[in-house]
Amino acid sequence: MSDSNSKTTHFGYKTVAEDDKVSLVANVFHSVAAKYDVMNDLMSFGIHRLWKRFTLDCSAVRPGQKVLDLAGGTGDLTALFSKRVGPGGKVVLADINASMLAVGRDKLRDQGLVDNIEYVQANAEALPFADNSFDIITIAFGLRNVTNKDAALASMFRVLKPGGRLLVLEFSKPQSELLNKAYDFYSFNLLPKMGQLVAGDADSYQYLAESIRMHPDQQTLQQMMEQAGFAEVSYHNLTGGIVALHRGYKF
Amino acid sequence: MLQLAPQWLTGLAEKALTEIIALDPAAQSRLQRLSGRQLAFQLTEFDWRLVLTATKDSIALNLHQEAVDCAIRASLSSLRQLRDPNQLTHLIKTDAVQIDGDIQIAQQFSNFFQQLNPDWQSHVARYLGDGLTHKLSLLLSQLAMLIRHKQQSLQQLTTELLQDELQLSPHPVEVTQFCTEVSQLHARLERLQQQLKLWQE
Ligand SMILES: C[S@@+](CC[C@H](N)C(=O)[O-])C[C@H]1O[C@@H](n2cnc3c(N)ncnc32)[C@H](O)[C@@H]1O
Repeated sequence: MSDSNSKTTHFGYKTVAEDDKVSLVANVFHSVAAKYDVMNDLMSFGIHRLWKRFTLDCSAVRPGQKVLDLAGGTGDLTALFSKRVGPGGKVVLADINASMLAVGRDKLRDQGLVDNIEYVQANAEALPFADNSFDIITIAFGLRNVTNKDAALASMFRVLKPGGRLLVLEFSKPQSELLNKAYDFYSFNLLPKMGQLVAGDADSYQYLAESIRMHPDQQTLQQMMEQAGFAEVSYHNLTGGIVALHRGYKF
Repeated sequence: MLQLAPQWLTGLAEKALTEIIALDPAAQSRLQRLSGRQLAFQLTEFDWRLVLTATKDSIALNLHQEAVDCAIRASLSSLRQLRDPNQLTHLIKTDAVQIDGDIQIAQQFSNFFQQLNPDWQSHVARYLGDGLTHKLSLLLSQLAMLIRHKQQSLQQLTTELLQDELQLSPHPVEVTQFCTEVSQLHARLERLQQQLKLWQE
């Protein structure tokens, strides 16, 4: 479960040296950054927007709060939060990848969202924020790409305020066998082809499909969050478990 | 996919609301006073609670059951009466409507929506041109007048029919009389109950 004690780790189905994974993941997202939003809509048939709105609802965000959108990429969640926390609040969009951050910054600026957003290039495993800084942390489709997930969860726990909550939105394990089969076919046969066609990059989308299969399932992720110190951890399966939203509190 | 339908609907509604508000030049400044406030509204018949957050240029929508500035719960049947301020105390007393938190915030939201007056004509004019829009607008107001007129005469007709011809529904004077009698009866009942309680103790 934990890959912190080994010198190798997964990069999709490949086994690679731990030190290499960060740059391999970086290559993937440098390569897809420009086409990321289009591909997201295409691959999920637009449903990723609903998964994100569900996450937003589960955050019960209030005006004036401080939110960290970790591995925030092109900033979909940041935009939703920024409107709601208002001028008295703040949203930090943190991502390890400069290309994704740049695309996100341009997009949000075009939407007129500038006042309460901060952009920080950071690794989820070692967050450059003070203890107890945020009311809400979200990490959407990001944890899967992180090399040392336990270290990342511990780091999120540290920077979360007591009473604050973490929301992890991530691909998970479909709950029915039939859905699983259809989903496998879709992600290994169609997805890389769509990636090739639209973004000119089949490898990155092959990685996407593989990394989803290697990611811990619902129960495992729940345990990992509990081990990191989160309380009252629970999850919702969305779209038959293709995606799950985990929620945990720091008390 | 039905599971996420509420999120789909609130997303759409939020977009529509933002566009409507953008069409009302006066709305921005009125929003400023409301900005940063949260109102929740739930119909007792449903599980979902709608949370409205006033932002600097729109009203954001969410669904959840957690803390807000003011929360209203009402049943579908009491919804129509809710618009009448005279009814409100009665509705609250009978628990048909429950209000938690700062009721002024609910009033501010309500005022905002009532005063919302999007300038759709100049918006449509961009597509149709001024002349055509003017005609359209004229046509619409004539249509509205016609409907109102028809409605009124229909209403008058039914009232007369029910009151005079069929004597099914009471005249207003009769209603007032009846209401007074009911309140008197109610008061007597309460006195009796009080006495009963005294005896029991
Ligand atoms: C699939 S995108 C998700 C973007 C956005 N949250 C969304 O839902 O649309 C994954 C993001 O995670 C970022 N990422 C990967 N490893 C990371 C790490 N160790 N720390 C922070 N961000 C990381 C990538 O750069 C990429 O932008």
